[in-house]
Amino acid sequence: MQLIERYAYTNRLRTVPPDHKAAVALLVLLLCLALDRPAVSIACIAWMFLLVVPVAGVPARTFGRVLVVEGGFILMTIPGILISIGPSAPSDSTAWSWPLGPLWISTSAATLWQGIALVMRALGCAAAMNFLALTTPLVDIIELLRRWHIPSVLIDIMTVTYRSIFVLLESANTMYIAQDSRLGYLTSRMRAIHNAALLASRLFVEAYRRGKELQIALESRGFNGDLRVLPMTYRFSPLFTVLGAVIMANLVLLWAMA
Amino acid sequence: MKTLFEFENVCYRYPGHKQLALRNVNVCFPEGEKIAVVGRNGAGKSTLFLHCNGLYRPLCGRVSFRGRPLAYDRASLKKLRQQVGMIFQNPDSQLFSASVAQDISFGPLNLGLSEAEARRRVLEAAEICEITHLLDRPTHSLSGGEKTRVALAGVLAMQPEVLVADEPLASLDPWMRLTFFDILQRFYDRGKTILMATHNLSVVRYWASYVIVLQEGQVVFSGTPKALLTNRTVLEQTELSRVWWKVDPGFDEDEEERVLVSTPSSAESTDGEGKSFQFSADGDWSI
Ligand SMILES: Nc1ncnc2c1ncn2[C@@H]1O[C@H](COP(=O)(O)OP(=O)(O)O)[C@@H](O)[C@H]1O
Ligand SMILES: [Mg+2]
Repeated sequence: MQLIERYAYTNRLRTVPPDHKAAVALLVLLLCLALDRPAVSIACIAWMFLLVVPVAGVPARTFGRVLVVEGGFILMTIPGILISIGPSAPSDSTAWSWPLGPLWISTSAATLWQGIALVMRALGCAAAMNFLALTTPLVDIIELLRRWHIPSVLIDIMTVTYRSIFVLLESANTMYIAQDSRLGYLTSRMRAIHNAALLASRLFVEAYRRGKELQIALESRGFNGDLRVLPMTYRFSPLFTVLGAVIMANLVLLWAMA
Repeated sequence: MKTLFEFENVCYRYPGHKQLALRNVNVCFPEGEKIAVVGRNGAGKSTLFLHCNGLYRPLCGRVSFRGRPLAYDRASLKKLRQQVGMIFQNPDSQLFSASVAQDISFGPLNLGLSEAEARRRVLEAAEICEITHLLDRPTHSLSGGEKTRVALAGVLAMQPEVLVADEPLASLDPWMRLTFFDILQRFYDRGKTILMATHNLSVVRYWASYVIVLQEGQVVFSGTPKALLTNRTVLEQTELSRVWWKVDPGFDEDEEERVLVSTPSSAESTDGEGKSFQFSADGDWSI
């Protein structure tokens, strides 16, 4: 999470208006879902790699690592699609099947192919979202939602939640180190579990205290129920816009040609 | 000496606690001075400060600002809080926004300023606090000292008359402290008032022009640093003599007078001239 954050703030597409980046990500996502061809899915991943790595300057390793983690989750859901279990052998002669006690496990070249296509499609969509996550900090996305007239209560909750995540991560980390330095996790498995529970409950108290402090600090600066802050300034990037258009055209062409 | 804040018989108790955090506090904060507030942990410094811009309401007694008792309705509080800027002991509790520039803009926008004016104020405050290079950064990626300076910028952008800083030095390294005191000095030079809670003897002796000593929720001394450092009774009663003498061998109970007089920048000489306040090499004397 912190890794993604870091690149989101330091990449070369940081100053491109978030509307443009969000538009590209969402359109690629939609096209990837709608144009159901493995070629399109692969092109999506390739284009997103191009935008994230050479254009935005995020290391290829980071792009790969995030995608691999997501790929792992996607693969976990795949066996259910590839394999079917039934009381009798499938009638389809092209299917492969094995008996398992009273049941039959079966699969076929068609379902295998379908599974691969599905994985590629899911990865293509994931890559589109990763592009947004790796090039656009959540601050900008929140700002964007504000301009899209999402109710300000929701946006304020997002802002404070986002900030609190880091504050709590830090307190959790500090508490963990404090426990660890006094051997809290080295004596026995039971003690370790007990100490982790202690940490979690302390974290609630801590969150409450922080919330109160925040309330006081906001009021001291004239808080009137609405967390208003300055919008960011961005620079229009012709290169990015052209690239975005080329990507869409390419995806549609790939689909039409197949 | 014009009075800025006046506390009359102020008591305060935290909800659900038996003990009073402030007990019959009677004290005047003079305007246009550099005021140090000292006292052990739990003496009530933070609680006292939170009364200064109406965040806490006294249980009994009253607080006045420029001769007028504080009113606790929305409009009066808004006006008061524009004039009294507050830096909290823990800068983390103060920064809520994801980006530094946005965080600084929060106060000015609450004052009802236009976006253009708010943006100007943000830039100006960032320049004063030397954090222009941090404006785009997320607040959670800052170090403690940077957070303190961002918090300071967020307050200065509201152009207050009074700056209230609760133990701000803790998170600053000695170099950053110099910068911090330069910023305070510029603020002070424009005739404004600074309140600072501190444990630091050199701050009391060389920076402050007025000192208030708290002990167990009561004000036991208020006056010039020189008057404090030559007041044996108070120093012994609050045990300040014990700690200050220990950490600074030059500070001897029987010789305070000599020490103060022989120091080139004694309390009085800080008035007027810009940067007479300096930390000694081991600037970490503390209670
Ligand atoms: N949020 C709180 N809830 C309950 N008691 C508190 C709270 N904050 C401070 N106190 C109590 O009030 C007294 C004064 O505390 P404080 O003003 O924070 O002292 P200082 O800032 O001088 O260290 C202490 O006894 C402390 O335990
Ligand atoms: Mg305190």
